[in-house]
Amino acid sequence: MTVSPAGSSVPRIEGPLKVSGIATYTSDFNFPGLLYAVPVCATIGSGTIAGLDTSVAGSMPGVQAVYHRANIGRIYRSAPDEGLGTHLDERRPPFEDDVIRYYGQYVAAAVADTYEQAIAAANAVKVTYDAKEPDVRDQLEPEGQPNLDGERGDPDAAFDSAPVKIDQTYSTPVETHNPIELHASVAVWDGQDFTLYETTQGVVNHRDVAAEMLGVPKERVRVISRFLGSGFGGKLFPWPHSFIAAAAARDLNRPVKLVVSRDMMFQNVGHRPRTQQRIRLGAGSDGKLVALMHDSLNHTSILDDYQENCSEATPYSYSTPNFRATSGLARRNVGTPTSMRGPGAVPGLYALESAMDELAIALGIDPVELRLRNEPNKDEGLDLPFSSRHLVECLAVGAKRFGWSGRDPRVGSMRKNGLILGWGVAGCSWIAERFAAQVAVDLRDDGSARVATATQDIGTGTYTVLANVVSEKTGIPANKIEVVLGDTNLPPGPISGGSMVTASVIPAVSQAIESAQQRILMAAIETEGTPFYGLEADALAFSGGIVHRKNEGPERGMAFEKILAKAKARSTSGLGKAEATFGSEDRKFSQHSFGAQFAEVTWQPEIARLRVSRVVTVIDAGRIINPKPARNQIEGSVVMGVGMALLEATEYDARFGAPINNNLADYMVATNADAPQIEVTFLDYPDRVLNDMGARGVGEIGLAGIAAAITAAVYHATGVRVRNLPVRLEELLA
Amino acid sequence: MRPTEVFAPAEPPADGQSARKNQLAVTLRVNGESVALQIDPRTTLLDCLRETMRLTGTKKGCDHGQCGACTVHVNGRRVNSCLTFAVMHQGDDITTIEGLGRPGSLHPVQAAFLEHDAYQCGYCTPGQIMSAAALLEEPCGATDADVKEAMSGNICRCGAYPNIVSAIQDVRSER
Ligand code: FES
Ligand code: FES
Repeated sequence: MTVSPAGSSVPRIEGPLKVSGIATYTSDFNFPGLLYAVPVCATIGSGTIAGLDTSVAGSMPGVQAVYHRANIGRIYRSAPDEGLGTHLDERRPPFEDDVIRYYGQYVAAAVADTYEQAIAAANAVKVTYDAKEPDVRDQLEPEGQPNLDGERGDPDAAFDSAPVKIDQTYSTPVETHNPIELHASVAVWDGQDFTLYETTQGVVNHRDVAAEMLGVPKERVRVISRFLGSGFGGKLFPWPHSFIAAAAARDLNRPVKLVVSRDMMFQNVGHRPRTQQRIRLGAGSDGKLVALMHDSLNHTSILDDYQENCSEATPYSYSTPNFRATSGLARRNVGTPTSMRGPGAVPGLYALESAMDELAIALGIDPVELRLRNEPNKDEGLDLPFSSRHLVECLAVGAKRFGWSGRDPRVGSMRKNGLILGWGVAGCSWIAERFAAQVAVDLRDDGSARVATATQDIGTGTYTVLANVVSEKTGIPANKIEVVLGDTNLPPGPISGGSMVTASVIPAVSQAIESAQQRILMAAIETEGTPFYGLEADALAFSGGIVHRKNEGPERGMAFEKILAKAKARSTSGLGKAEATFGSEDRKFSQHSFGAQFAEVTWQPEIARLRVSRVVTVIDAGRIINPKPARNQIEGSVVMGVGMALLEATEYDARFGAPINNNLADYMVATNADAPQIEVTFLDYPDRVLNDMGARGVGEIGLAGIAAAITAAVYHATGVRVRNLPVRLEELLA
Repeated sequence: MRPTEVFAPAEPPADGQSARKNQLAVTLRVNGESVALQIDPRTTLLDCLRETMRLTGTKKGCDHGQCGACTVHVNGRRVNSCLTFAVMHQGDDITTIEGLGRPGSLHPVQAAFLEHDAYQCGYCTPGQIMSAAALLEEPCGATDADVKEAMSGNICRCGAYPNIVSAIQDVRSER
């Protein structure tokens, strides 16, 4: 691999492992004496367990144990914590009581010598229930008074007297993350310590939660996640299966592997909740907003309060003197929802941007132009300036690349190759924040470096980006940089959530490098035989891996590895620590990424064929450290957005509360043939408020706005406004 | 009745030999080597590769033939290894990602996936690559649309499809 300064597109450093099947994902781990656990899932959506008979299952070949409430042993609750510290969404430990609150809830688990034996035993556990009718209704009503999330001016009066009004309700369905890697735990207990191999987007949080729930000190639990087959938020926080595996491993004193099946992934490991959002826009005939109201509801489970926060991006999206956002929860017999890629903003911007498109049509103003007219010059929600906002340029660049000026706004008026074309546009946005992070950097006597932090690469490119950052800051080629992640033995790093890892680790990496380099300077002045022996450290500088006098160039210096060798040191290690901005009250700027999505659909009414044919996305996400994985993130988000707009919805059976399309044939995600032609452009405005390299993150923003751009294009092609995702062909034919 | 009263305690297994009971003998040729196995007839080829032979490069994404993560070659054709039992493959020639190429001697499709960043998390990747390698020998049309159709049995939830197509087309153009 060649030298890879940041900003260049280089192959991922872990790529050779991934293309050859060597990269080790959680369920790939295997240990001597390994047992297999298979959960038994409730077949009702509400009620209680009346009887649970394990006598047949327990005596089947190879079965080591069948666990349930009475014999799993104590699994504690993890007490609530502030923010995202020590967090899990489904707080009830597995088997805690005999009440069934959602279809598929774990009621038992069979553990056997082989996977086949464990499945057979799980199927042989006889469970009887006192069943009640579950509530899995789609239509949401708030439980109690909605929360007031933000307000300015007098939105009711301004809306009432506005010359042009939009008042519509938009809904988004339950979406299931469906990473292709199944959730899994491989739990190893050595009589004193747990080592938990987990499919997690947060090894440190998983360790903290697991220690509390297993009732052991933190240092007795090590969590490892070297490679993650993606998560999209579904693997941010621990789920109950992990504690079943750990408790079984402790009880049996054998390693236990538990792989959650695809059907269980629709019920036991979270989902994006159903949302229902009423948007009211009031505008003058010039298109300027005078009122904006966003009232959102989402469903949650019986025991947990998961807030989707749909109006997250609404207060700062547009300028309006009168504003209000409210939110509420509706309880349903479903598993606990969780964050899914772009939580809040993604469903929220579907609603808001759809309403903006409807307003543009009502006003007879081009939808790009309408957005330009409502561009704010500060975050009116926080009353703070933006650190860096270039939405206007995103729209302008996107319109040009897409060919927007050739648009005929009349419904069904545009054609190409005999197909009706529809064009749509939407804006998008996502937070730009940092979590706390610690990073260790070792500079070694062979001229190499090692960078280590207990964050993880979930597929977004963190291994490579860290190598790129260290390379840029030290001058050491990326192929001589070892990156170690995904292990709680390393300095604590952030969860891979909120698109924040890159931004979070940069300041800690800088600090770690400075301190490792400072120690090399000290070695230089204290070691006989270096040209700097006896000098003051202040007189020396570090440039591109060379130590030299400040008043001379690096050509007269000495490579750092030579100094280490002379000092007989293998390495110097520096530790960097950076504080979080996420959740901080003390801020001087509103920090967000922005973007514009332009979508083209083709519509063939004769055969009811709707396709997304082309997407142009322009993203303002600060400086892009490595364009290759960054572009891939945006393209992947657009592909997922095609699924969100046209394909994805988890449907529940009203009688039993079961997710009935609980497989990848019936819950459709976009396949290769569904992927449109995608063009991604990054604007290059480093956001130095966030970190010294000006880099934000790009994992989520590409999914925001895309569904609204597609449904706007569908309206343009067909005249049908879809306000209830996904777009269903029958609605277009009505 | 309190539910606890009907919980029956788990019986200990009858003997330590259980794993070997009810097994069948089968010889598979995997990545060019013959392997004689005693295996549970319920074991899929996928689980046999992963759990018995410890060839974990082949992935499980659904166990239902719906995602393609488990794609291997059986006698040169691509097959979803989760949809077939190991004992059905007596004497069959099976190639997994481990047999296709290793770092330093990558198969052209593996090298192209690396070059084109045709993955993110990498979990679907062994299946994508095995499908793509088989596709090279299939009567597939020349256009991107043909490749997309022929590769649509392999889901990439990360959505790396544009790069997957360009990687495959790159290899095809050099043949
Ligand atoms: S695991 Fe075989 S097709 Fe999904
Ligand atoms: S690379 Fe993650 S599923 Fe394809």
